[in-house]
Amino acid sequence: MTTIPSWAAVAVSGLLVLVAVGIASWQRLGISREIVVAALRALVQLVAVGAVLAWLFAHAGVAGALAWVLAMTVVAANESRRRGQGLPRAYAAALVGILVATASTLGVLVLGGVISTEPQVLIPIGGMVVSGSMQAASLTLSSLHRSAVENRPSVEAALSLGLPAHQAFAREMRTAVRTALIPTVDSTRVVGLISLPGTMTGLIIAGVDPLQAIRYQIIVMYMLLAAWAVSALVTARMAQGALFDDAQRLVPVAA
Amino acid sequence: MHRPELFTLDDVSLEIDGRRILDGVDEHLHDGVATAIAGPSGSGKSTLLRLLNRLAEPTSGRVLFRGTEVRDLDVLELRRRAVLVPQRATALTDDVAAEVRVAAPDLTDAQVRALLERVALDPGDFLGRVPSSLSGGELQRLCLARALAVGPEVLLLDEPTSALDPRSADAVDAVIRALVDSGLAVVLVSHDVLRAGRVADDVRVLHGGRVTARGPAVHLDLEHELMSPPADGHVHDVTDPRSHGAAHLPHEHEREDEDEHAHTTRTDADPTTEQP
Repeated sequence: MTTIPSWAAVAVSGLLVLVAVGIASWQRLGISREIVVAALRALVQLVAVGAVLAWLFAHAGVAGALAWVLAMTVVAANESRRRGQGLPRAYAAALVGILVATASTLGVLVLGGVISTEPQVLIPIGGMVVSGSMQAASLTLSSLHRSAVENRPSVEAALSLGLPAHQAFAREMRTAVRTALIPTVDSTRVVGLISLPGTMTGLIIAGVDPLQAIRYQIIVMYMLLAAWAVSALVTARMAQGALFDDAQRLVPVAA
Repeated sequence: MHRPELFTLDDVSLEIDGRRILDGVDEHLHDGVATAIAGPSGSGKSTLLRLLNRLAEPTSGRVLFRGTEVRDLDVLELRRRAVLVPQRATALTDDVAAEVRVAAPDLTDAQVRALLERVALDPGDFLGRVPSSLSGGELQRLCLARALAVGPEVLLLDEPTSALDPRSADAVDAVIRALVDSGLAVVLVSHDVLRAGRVADDVRVLHGGRVTARGPAVHLDLEHELMSPPADGHVHDVTDPRSHGAAHLPHEHEREDEDEHAHTTRTDADPTTEQP
């Protein structure tokens, strides 16, 4: 096992922040203060999270771990909603999308015996799933919002022919889900070539054999593919439901 | 000649964000004819058209289609019986035949060709083409074919020629007129009151959400109605021509002048100006 850095070592790494600050002030970028604040903020946030996680791993159990994942979902949905600003019931769409994606992927992994239900597994894995689902929901909502504003004439042309909403809006739905999936498909395709992803990086640094570490990474990639797809689809369906009223009309959407 | 009533608007008002778009409209639109709703932009005419297929909902009052309130009809069925063609011609597919089949997927090839012929698009020329390669007027006629494919009882046309040069507009108008002459009812909205008057049998002039004139196109001095609406609350109604005696003759004459003018414009128009 490699040695874990001491707090003194962390303090030494703080010199690297001074390098960044030095460049910023030398080049008069006007962001020296921001760099210092961001670095201190990161320190405080991570110490807090580390303390919380240490407590959770010791005391939470499965129920506590799931409650933690649920809390992350609520925060993530709130973040996604901002990307769909102007869409009706965007928060509900993102919340349900992220929730369904997280529950189904974690459920399959746990029931399939792929991962254990210990908090130190469920919480970080759950965090990755929630974060991926959140990005998928955000991209979906942002694409649907753009479509609902820009494609209103063609959607209404289709509705005016007596087509139901789900047909009149089919192209926009496909575009939204495809747009949301492109980043994860791309990163899955080039994984290991452009960057070593976080899970295996962490395991390798902690001294795990690379051939074992990649197993975890493969599971994580496949899990994220499913999470992104489920989240994009469910979020899109929910958003579509709120975009059309009972008389099959596209409701007003703020640009 | 008495024609059955197609649409009835019963004291219809519509407000959006506290702004009154339509203000107590009482109208009867008849079957088998082309009715033009003319008026300046912002007069509420497009909104009125959208009420007829429930793309819009009145704040108060009732809209009836063949005697039944539109809210009591299945909305998808209503929209197939009264198809609306929006202002901007928009292709929904990337193939002319697919475009005709958008809302009628079971059409045979022969039916698609017949529909194209009905809107004066030669199937030999146009089948297999990409809608985005069509000129504005051709695309508008393709949109008419797409609407006819559904088998509607009435076409609702929102500014069918406003984006077109005079020559293309005349071609679209000729198709609309031929459809009406074959028995299809049409309600069309236009800010170009003179052009609307040439296509339509019946005209309503709208100002500030109120109807200010109604009657047969040949009996209204349309330019005057558009420029100088009657004072508040008054409707210039020439529905019954007998009540207006011989006052129509000059209008007939003006209409001929207008046609000559249109003809001049047509010959002057450069065909290449037609927007794709």
